[in-house]
Amino acid sequence: MTNQQTSTALSVTGLTKRYGDRNAVDNLSIELPAGVVAGFVGPNGAGKTTTMAMLLGLVRPTAGTGTVLGASIDHPAAYLSRVGALIESPAFYPSLTGAENLRVFATIGAQDTARIPALLETVGLDGRGEDRYRSYSLGMKQRLGIAAALLGDPDLLILDEPANGLDPQGVREMRGLIGRLAGTGRTVLVSSHDLSELEQVCDWLVLIDTGRSLYQGPTSDLLKGGATGLIVVPQRSADHPALRDLLVNRGHEVELSDDRLTVSVNGADVSDLAASVNRAAFDAGMVLVELSPNRTTLEDRYLSMVHGGAR
Amino acid sequence: MIRIIRAELIRVLRGRTIAIMAASALAFAAVAALTVFSTARKTGTATRRSGATLADLVGDGGGTQAFAVGASFVGFLVFVIFIALIATEFSGGTFRAVLLREPHRLRVIVGKLAGLLLVAAALVALVEVLTFGMSLLLAPTKDIATDQWFSLDSVGAALRDYVTVFGGIAGWAVFGTTLAVIFRSAPLALGVGFAWAGPFENITVDNWSAGYRFYPGQVLGSLIRGGTAELGIGRAVITALVYTGIAAAATLVLVSRRDVTA
Repeated sequence: MTNQQTSTALSVTGLTKRYGDRNAVDNLSIELPAGVVAGFVGPNGAGKTTTMAMLLGLVRPTAGTGTVLGASIDHPAAYLSRVGALIESPAFYPSLTGAENLRVFATIGAQDTARIPALLETVGLDGRGEDRYRSYSLGMKQRLGIAAALLGDPDLLILDEPANGLDPQGVREMRGLIGRLAGTGRTVLVSSHDLSELEQVCDWLVLIDTGRSLYQGPTSDLLKGGATGLIVVPQRSADHPALRDLLVNRGHEVELSDDRLTVSVNGADVSDLAASVNRAAFDAGMVLVELSPNRTTLEDRYLSMVHGGAR
Repeated sequence: MIRIIRAELIRVLRGRTIAIMAASALAFAAVAALTVFSTARKTGTATRRSGATLADLVGDGGGTQAFAVGASFVGFLVFVIFIALIATEFSGGTFRAVLLREPHRLRVIVGKLAGLLLVAAALVALVEVLTFGMSLLLAPTKDIATDQWFSLDSVGAALRDYVTVFGGIAGWAVFGTTLAVIFRSAPLALGVGFAWAGPFENITVDNWSAGYRFYPGQVLGSLIRGGTAELGIGRAVITALVYTGIAAAATLVLVSRRDVTA
């Protein structure tokens, strides 16, 4: 992950795409700092792919303005040479090999074909570049799609569901690949349904639903303050009731379940609360083996925002 | 657009494809020459569906008669191939992938068409040469003298045949591209194209002879033949240009205005 958040890689205001009576994207505004790895999250039909297609000049917006890498989205030719994209599914010529496909697309984009072997290696397809595309597994096709997106050494990568259809091993490899790409300082906008993967790899999030923005900002900000409880586990299970009584007497809201106590945060600083609980247990002669915030996951926050009317 | 043409040539001109095209050209030359020479009539007038006469074969340009007659049946094949190639670009998503690197849509569609037509032009030239060679081999079997086949007039006739055949094929290619762009689905576009240029035109033209002058497929067929009794070359060229221009304009408008969602 990078921290180059000094300029804007992408900015759109009031972006709208209407199909008949339905707004696929509805007055969406996004600002993406340069250098972040941004997760683009939303349920099926939320407008993620349509938004990306508008940014890439494939779909004409009904309304809205914006810039990508400083150039107006009305003139994609001004910035597409600096953008690499994998949108919807990888699309290549089945009868050509992976390397031949990259050669064709590099020729179209006036990009350096000498980089093809290195790119195949980057995405883990070295040794398979001379195989026909039609013989590739889904994971290999996705990786070739990433290689094609990287042909022009882009400043901005737009990846639409790059882990779609991959097995767990493939998902992990894709996460590693995106992580490595993030380390090169480029801006990455990646959509995915796998929220735990996004949580691990993205330092910026854009959440949308029914074409509208729910949240955009640092991942840490979304998850910060989301800790609802403090998990406390004493070494001896016999201490559970005594510890609960102790904490309740000190004014905490405590829930005892299975082998742990959960102390409600109730707006308090989690670190201060943890220190207070630890001190109380120590003073009572109890040893704690776990004292950790019950962190809200991206999935928790996402589901509460999408289904909880948080907009 | 040059980059699109180059990419198209890289895509198409690979060893296996070249071998298949060369073998097809040889097979076509053999079948066309054998058919034309074996069915040559002593007298008659060239119509849209007739073969050559012995007089045609003996005279200037006789060496490329088999090419011109045989090619008139190839237009439909070109039509089908272009529908399949271009429609698959849309349904398979490769058109979208190309636009991510070359957002000028008109350059992309025109470049693709031009690249494929360049290959077609080379293939047509190869077919003409091979058909001429086959005709040379078959001429003695019909006691046809080939002296005039090497005259300057015959060279002119060969060039004229090449231009009309390629012109007709280019027309079929544009029509195929138009259908592919309209439907963006190979099965659908092929179904409509097949139904129109196959059964519809050829059945109805038997009862409506004006169809030879107005149906796009019949017009292009006459153009490839260098003019027929039903439609002279001059009118065939003009009508073909009008039809092709309309089809090309429709294609360009659709490509430039439509969202690319596949």
